[in-house]
Amino acid sequence: MAVVEDTREQFIRQDGKDKVTGLGRYTADLARTGMLQARFRYSDHAHARVLRIDTSAAKALPGVFAVLTQDDVPDVRYGGFVEDRTLFAKDVVRFEGEVVAAVAALTQEIADRAVELIEVEYEPLPAIADPEQALAPGAPLIHEGWAGYGGNEDVVREGNDCSHSSIRKGDVDAALASADEVVKERYVADMSHAVPIEPRAIVAEWQGDKVTVWTSTQVPFIARSGVATTLQMPEADVRVVVPHLGGGFGGKCEFHFEAHVAALARAARRPVRLVFTRREEFVAPDHRREGQVLELETGVMKDGTIVARRARLVLDNGAYAADAPFFPQLAAMMAVGPYRVPHVSVDAHLAYTNTTPSGSVRAPTAPQSCWGLELHMDAVAERIGLDPVEFRRRNIVHPGDETATKQVLETIAAAESLERAVEMIGYGRELPPDEAIGVACGWWPTFALPSGAHVKLHGDGSGTIVTGAQECGTGSVMALPLLAAEVLGMRPQQFTVVYQDTDAGPWDAGASGSQTTTNNGRAVVEAAIDVRNQLLELAEEVLEAARADLELVDGRVRVKGSPSTGVDITELAEKAAGDKLLLGRGSGSPPASPDCDISGCTGRLGSESFLAPTFMTHAVRCKVDRATGVVRVLEVAAAHDSGRVLNPVGANGQVEGGVAMGIGMALSEGSQLSDDGRQLNPYLLDYKLQTAADVPEIRVEWVGEPDPTAGPNGAKAVAEPPCVPTPGAVGNAIAKVAGRVRCLPMTPMRVWEAMQR
Amino acid sequence: MSATYTAAATLPEALAALASGARPVAGGTDLVVGARQGKAPLPDSLVAIHGLAELRGIAETGGGGLRIGALVSHADLVAHPAVRERYTALADASAIVGSHATRHVGTLGGNVMNASPAMETGGPLICFGAEAVLVSESGERRVAVADLLTGPGRTAARPDELLVAIELPAAAGGSCYARLEYRRQMEIAVVGATCAVTLEGARIGSARVAITALTPRIVRVPDAESALAGGDGGAGAVQAAGDAAAAAAQPISDVRASADYRRAMAAVIARRAVTAAIARARGSSDSVPIPASPALHGADRD
Amino acid sequence: MRYDAVLNVNGTDFPVEIEPHRSLLSVVRTELGMPGSKEGCDDSECGACMMLLDGRPVNSCSYLALQADGRKIVTVEGLADGGELHPLQRQFLAQGGVQCGFCTPGMLISAKALLDQNPAPSEDEIRIALSGNLCRCTGYQGIVRAVQAAAAEIA
Ligand SMILES: Cc1cc2nc3c(=O)[nH]c(=O)nc-3n(C[C@H](O)[C@H](O)[C@H](O)COP(=O)(O)OP(=O)(O)OC[C@H]3O[C@@H](n4cnc5c(N)ncnc54)[C@H](O)[C@@H]3O)c2cc1C
Ligand code: FES
Ligand code: FES
Repeated sequence: MAVVEDTREQFIRQDGKDKVTGLGRYTADLARTGMLQARFRYSDHAHARVLRIDTSAAKALPGVFAVLTQDDVPDVRYGGFVEDRTLFAKDVVRFEGEVVAAVAALTQEIADRAVELIEVEYEPLPAIADPEQALAPGAPLIHEGWAGYGGNEDVVREGNDCSHSSIRKGDVDAALASADEVVKERYVADMSHAVPIEPRAIVAEWQGDKVTVWTSTQVPFIARSGVATTLQMPEADVRVVVPHLGGGFGGKCEFHFEAHVAALARAARRPVRLVFTRREEFVAPDHRREGQVLELETGVMKDGTIVARRARLVLDNGAYAADAPFFPQLAAMMAVGPYRVPHVSVDAHLAYTNTTPSGSVRAPTAPQSCWGLELHMDAVAERIGLDPVEFRRRNIVHPGDETATKQVLETIAAAESLERAVEMIGYGRELPPDEAIGVACGWWPTFALPSGAHVKLHGDGSGTIVTGAQECGTGSVMALPLLAAEVLGMRPQQFTVVYQDTDAGPWDAGASGSQTTTNNGRAVVEAAIDVRNQLLELAEEVLEAARADLELVDGRVRVKGSPSTGVDITELAEKAAGDKLLLGRGSGSPPASPDCDISGCTGRLGSESFLAPTFMTHAVRCKVDRATGVVRVLEVAAAHDSGRVLNPVGANGQVEGGVAMGIGMALSEGSQLSDDGRQLNPYLLDYKLQTAADVPEIRVEWVGEPDPTAGPNGAKAVAEPPCVPTPGAVGNAIAKVAGRVRCLPMTPMRVWEAMQR
Repeated sequence: MSATYTAAATLPEALAALASGARPVAGGTDLVVGARQGKAPLPDSLVAIHGLAELRGIAETGGGGLRIGALVSHADLVAHPAVRERYTALADASAIVGSHATRHVGTLGGNVMNASPAMETGGPLICFGAEAVLVSESGERRVAVADLLTGPGRTAARPDELLVAIELPAAAGGSCYARLEYRRQMEIAVVGATCAVTLEGARIGSARVAITALTPRIVRVPDAESALAGGDGGAGAVQAAGDAAAAAAQPISDVRASADYRRAMAAVIARRAVTAAIARARGSSDSVPIPASPALHGADRD
Repeated sequence: MRYDAVLNVNGTDFPVEIEPHRSLLSVVRTELGMPGSKEGCDDSECGACMMLLDGRPVNSCSYLALQADGRKIVTVEGLADGGELHPLQRQFLAQGGVQCGFCTPGMLISAKALLDQNPAPSEDEIRIALSGNLCRCTGYQGIVRAVQAAAAEIA
């Protein structure tokens, strides 16, 4: 049975009142005295050489204070994995949303007019939208100078192949040759988007040589180092503040436009604000979800044992690498899935194309790869005449099993999640002919990263947690008081959290990779233990008892076995306030990656083994309108193994939101591209999110045990996993009624087309 | 960017503004939204007509029909018992416009005058033989809605004419407007079809069928109508009407659907509209696709 | 050209002088200093900007401010009664209806519009009524629970 904390007193998020009263401030709500408005001039082509930029007419427009191009900023190439990017286009534009110039003006209208007055002369170059075409021999190079780019040496790249990873285990050729059946299929997933409801906004203001940037980023410290690198200034001179953040889902990870706005503000000698339109939010940031082409081949025995998997995945990187180069390795792991597969050969490539760059969006690569794999799993089960759930049952990983990279899995409950989800939905029951239940299993790692926090206890016994962690609404930071309170025997309501400010909190990787509870949680626990030790030291004196005999319970330090002998924490805090203060610090070292063996594999970028992996199974009941192909999801059962679940209201909310996003990816969310890589539907009427009327009831249950290799007391990732198996489960339900739909999203038209075949 | 603005307090004021070149704005859910999307900038000169009492209200006409003011909102239409009972297809159409905010703010007049080939109320109005009452400083004239809608975004109204009301002749029988919906709400018609039928005993008397979003302007489909008229309204006739609707479609391919899919759906959606219209004419209420309750859409409390 | 108008927002009259193209949202957010209502899209699709205009929901991003002259407007800032949260606000917090909070102002207004007209909506009626308000965080479950709980509380 899962360990789900009963927080007894209902835990209301600290920022909640601000948010329901409309008094909380998001970045676009901020105003500074003398503030100007910014607008970018984007590339007019998906691929072209820039011959000339003339900004004189824009500069001459009354009300314009600054117009910048790459000539006005340091000549720095940046990029975490591959240094392929400059702030503004340099010589070549590679996608429709590339920033060519930026304007700051008195009003938005003037800024809008000014960007139109910038004259740019181009020589159009052939544009490639299709990642497979980009990898074809003789394809024009998207980055002619790719070989000269600096970056992470572990990225294996060549020409348009921006990152290649492979997994090799056993002898796939022999195993496929000896299999009773071999099933080979191809699946294609379109690019999609994070679509936080808040479009991004940035405000920058200088004081002397220091700049403060208020920005809707998920990763303030990464934004800070981006500004420091590209504007060539010390990190200490850059302060990044994140007001309330209106969602992110990965789309607001990475360093984006903070430096552009800071540079504008410096040039204009005034604060500058940039607020994106929804269209810009689709087109310009380098963080959309990558499209994928999956070729999957599985060898299976008649009894349902999988013997081999061969796969080739091509991921659509877009025009710049951003944080995507680790995707191929992740996708390769996803193409094997949470199953025992003794012989594996997977190659995954990340292909440059002339489209908006891809980057981490909630569980990058996983929903799409899982969708392809899980539909393929059902196809394999069908071939050998086995029920798809039974087929999964015979292959799913158990503790002690080995992954494709020979990591031995320990505390996992993959099988339990499968059984539970199937039971919750009533798998196998009689349904009308246009309805079916589909099942899909997925997995996802917990990421180990450094992180820091301070815990302070004040004279009146209240506490403050100062952390570098950032949250995008998930509640992960809001839940940190639960951890401190647990260590100190206090109530979570007694703590305030200070975050959102790089000048206040220690370094943290931000709201990415579902890492906050695990890593910052570890830091907060350590900082709280530090304070606890200080309290115990004080209490030893007061109670004249040895520290080992003391415990912290219900706001008191008391002698074990004699609860009436004790002292209130408030009293100790008051005492400390007159003397040495109660200050705790924590960082803790990130746990090491589990052992694995990747001999023969290419492209080692950190996902070769999965720390404290989470497992999840979704079972969905769908109704297919067989005349139109319109699919309605009627019921979702989600069973997740995330180890220890710290804040059930928060964790259930993550699953509910993730499932809704997964249903969107399954049915309606996908960018359509023109031949030259432009998005044809960068707006919400035709990039359709699921509405309240479309999303059904979602039931969530937790399985599994606390994982000792994970975060505080065994908590594994929670926020990203929920969207992983949903598209596959929906696809398998559709397949039972209408046939397999091999393109994602499985739009009504595509479902209908599948029925025509 | 609009330079001048008047909020008309009376009809003559509005007409004077139109005569001097102003464009009317009612709910703005087409006009202002279009400007935000960058489709077309706001007109230079605007006259807001939302305050004109003359353009409000739904009234019975002497001949057993209804006169619906141009400012009547979609929410008011759905909530009106006479519209629901006698002009059900129109209630179907208004019930699925946008969200509850769109239905409260968006007006029938704006829907008609925007003349989108995908607009919801056009098919029902054409099938009911509705007339548009147009008024200008030089007087009033009536134009059949079928003749008013001349092309995408184009009408036969002169720029100085205001649509004050839509008049519906008496209707008997049953009707339905159906649309292909990817999501349950917040959709735009990719394929829509209307059917209105009368009964003669057990047989279909007259039939009107129109298709929406499948041709540059909403049109009736005579072949579908003749397939139904005088027949038994059975599966064969319904099938033939659907096939005729598909044959009359001139579908395009775009981000919303391919031409092939649109044509196939023309037949499906037309069959659904026809089937529901006949069922309604025969007194069945369980085939009513109005998706939400009147309470939800909101009765007019003014 | 600018025109005089009086916007009555949350019970207070605000005299303003504005250009015809200005949206109700931008005037309330900037001129009136009430940025609680949010802007999430360009095309009336997200509902983050929803306000009540004479008691009816309106996407204020696409409504001309001048057309609201002399009419009653309610924004999220006007829901609480002094320090006392509206039942919807309380239940949104209690039921997990708020995560990032960006959809929340519009969602609360939309829900209020619904409950004002239909005090005992079914779950499906709630879902249909809120379909013009996109939420990316909650999957709508906590929001629907909150509206149900608030309806029960108000009844
Ligand atoms: C989110 C959303 C969803 C929508 N969904 C749908 C849908 O499903 N189906 C659908 O059909 N429409 C839909 N619409 C479009 C729109 O809401 C409707 O067409 C609405 O009825 C328009 O009415 P309005 O009063 O807002 O028009 P306005 O925008 O005020 O006016 C539209 C046009 O008509 C002119 N006009 C208005 N009134 C008159 C008059 N009395 N005389 C002469 N000219 C006039 C205006 O000058 C303008 O050109 C949607 C809009 C939005 C924003
Ligand atoms: S901002 Fe008004 S509907 Fe999106
Ligand atoms: S709570 Fe974030 S969009 Fe709804």
